[in-house]
Formats: sequence, structure tokens, C-alpha cells
Amino acid sequence: MPGDWRALLALVLVFGPLSLFSIGGGASLLAEIEHQAVGVHHWTSPREFADLFAISRAAPGPGTMLSALIGWKVAGWPGALTASVALYLPSSLLVFVTARLWGRWRGSAWHAAVENGLAPVAAGLVLAGGIAVLRAMPGGPAIWITAVVATVLLMRWPQLNPLALFAVSGLLFGVFAALGH
Amino acid sequence: MAEGGRRDREGAGKAQISLAAIAIAFFWLGVTSFGGGTAAWLYRAMVQRRHWIDDQAYLSGVALSRVMPGSGGVNLTVQVGQQLRGGAGAVVAVVGLLSGPLVIVIALAAAFARIAGSALAHAVLDGVAAAAIGLTFATGLVLVPRGASQFGQIAIVAVTALTVGGLRWPLLPVVSCLAPLSIGLALLQQRWRR
Repeated sequence: MPGDWRALLALVLVFGPLSLFSIGGGASLLAEIEHQAVGVHHWTSPREFADLFAISRAAPGPGTMLSALIGWKVAGWPGALTASVALYLPSSLLVFVTARLWGRWRGSAWHAAVENGLAPVAAGLVLAGGIAVLRAMPGGPAIWITAVVATVLLMRWPQLNPLALFAVSGLLFGVFAALGH
Repeated sequence: MAEGGRRDREGAGKAQISLAAIAIAFFWLGVTSFGGGTAAWLYRAMVQRRHWIDDQAYLSGVALSRVMPGSGGVNLTVQVGQQLRGGAGAVVAVVGLLSGPLVIVIALAAAFARIAGSALAHAVLDGVAAAAIGLTFATGLVLVPRGASQFGQIAIVAVTALTVGGLRWPLLPVVSCLAPLSIGLALLQQRWRR
């Protein structure tokens, strides 16, 4: 179906370029994926985006499965595979090609400057991702307070298992919702 | 001398690791590395348990993963697969790493789609998402450089977060401007210190 091909092409055109801009890991793309999926292409509603974000964080593996979920939402399994390949292939090829050169650059002033220079951009992008998801969520004090409490807990005790925190928080929200009805 | 000999033997051992073994090892790494810390789990599985690569190769790989775009865990996996069996090793390792989580995450989403009408299910997911936002903020804040000499870097963090997150400017042009600026700043500071 031509419509399907167009959808898959759109996924490639969104995630392919992002692959080479995911500085400091997939989390740095969160804000842009939200912008593209909700604002530009209307692949999901804000509500659905927040749900997919939560599901992607509860699953194992590298934290970038959100793109696969968006692809799946757009075009089923072919969409999930297309989005994943588009997101991972360009950056993986780049690493594959540069891995050999990298050894030669070790210890040079350039190497340190690239590493130190990219770190603040990566930090800013990750924080932008948190802001983007907060905006996509329905809002309300419970969500804000939980996000702040989770931030403080995880910064204070970095060895804390985030999954346990997700489970407790999900359970609390569920219990409150059940009591409220 | 002794170390060189050990490395040679390791090199000989590496040639014998089959693609199937690589695929299986990375498949398990994928489905068992929860919470996004794939690089740390990879260290345990591939360096400490299987001795497929040594500490130095791991650290060099981590450093490259940091400056290259892409998920750190996937970038490390590409490099380990490449060291073990070249291009085929890299492909097999990445496919092994991602296939398990991909199936699991879509199974979760499909299961959720069936109960998406339920207010309770939405409430639970809101709770998970709110805590996951906390994890995102904590990860970003840990990366923020500290110290009075880092004023420029902190400003770059703030400008990036506000333009991309707050004002919803597109990421590609923002990063294209800020990344070279930030690297230039780091270069200047290195010269200044010397």
C-alpha cells in the first residue's frame, strides 16, 4: 500500500537524521521525538506519547525503545523495525568507522575538548526531554511532585533501582485512582 | 612481555568465538539490562565474566561512545562485536542486543492497548511516567558540570534545555550551533589552564 510506504518513509526521515544528533545517548532525543511525533506528524496524542514513554522506560535494554514504539504505533511491526534501523544504523556505522581512528587520537587536546564540550549539550538535551514529557502529560500536582521526589531520590541514592521506583509510583497512582472512583 | 603474551593468547581466543555465541551473549545482555545502564551491564557480562575484551579496550570504547552520537550501550556493543569478529560480529551483536527488548516493549504496548480505555491503567502509567521523568532529570543533572570555572558550560546546559525543552526549538539546528561553540569553549579553557 502506498500509504504504508509513505508512513515508513516519514519514519526514516525523522529518525535517520536524529541518529547522528543523539549526543550523549538516546535520552537526548526525547524532546525532539515528542515534538515530531505529537506536534509535527500527529503520530500520537500527547496522552499516548506519555503512555508510550512510560512503557519504553519499563522495558529492558538501551533506553531508546521509544522510537520503536512510535514506529509500531504508526505502521505496526514494519514501522517498529524501520524506526529502529533508522535510529541505530547511522550512529552505529559512524562508530564502526571511527573506532580504529579513535585509538590514534587518544590523549590529544582535541579528544578532551570534544568530550568536555559535548557533555553540557548532552546534559541540556536530557533535561529538555524531561520537560517535553512533563508537558505531554495531563499535568496536576501529583505528577509534578512525584517527578521531583524521584529526581531527588535518584540523585541522592544513585544505586537505587529505578524499576523499583517506577513500580512503587505506578502502584500509588493506581491505588489513588481506584480510591477516587 | 608477559602481558604481551597474554594479549596474544586472548587474540587467538577471540578468533574462536562464534557469531552464535556473540548473538546469544548480547541477547541476554539486552533482556537483562534494566534501567538503561547497558554499558555497566556490558562490563560485567563481557569483561568480567567472559573476558572477551580487557579493561583498557572497554574504557576506550566507553570514551568513544561518549563523543559519538547514539545510545552508549549500542555504541559499545558495535565496538565489542567489531573487535571479536569484525563487521559480522558488530551486526550480530547489535541485532542480538536489540531484538529482545524490541519484542518485549512492543508486547507491553500491545497488552496496554487492550486496556487503554481503563482509567486505572492510565493512572498506573502516569505514575510510572512521572517517576521516569524523575530518572530523566536526575540523569541530566548528574551530567551538569560543577564549579565556578564552569560558568560557560552551565550556561550551555541551560540554553540547550530551555530552547529545545522550553521553547520547543528543533534539535538539529540548536545542536549544530551549540556543540561547536561548546567544544570551542572547552579548547579555550584548556589553553587558559596551561
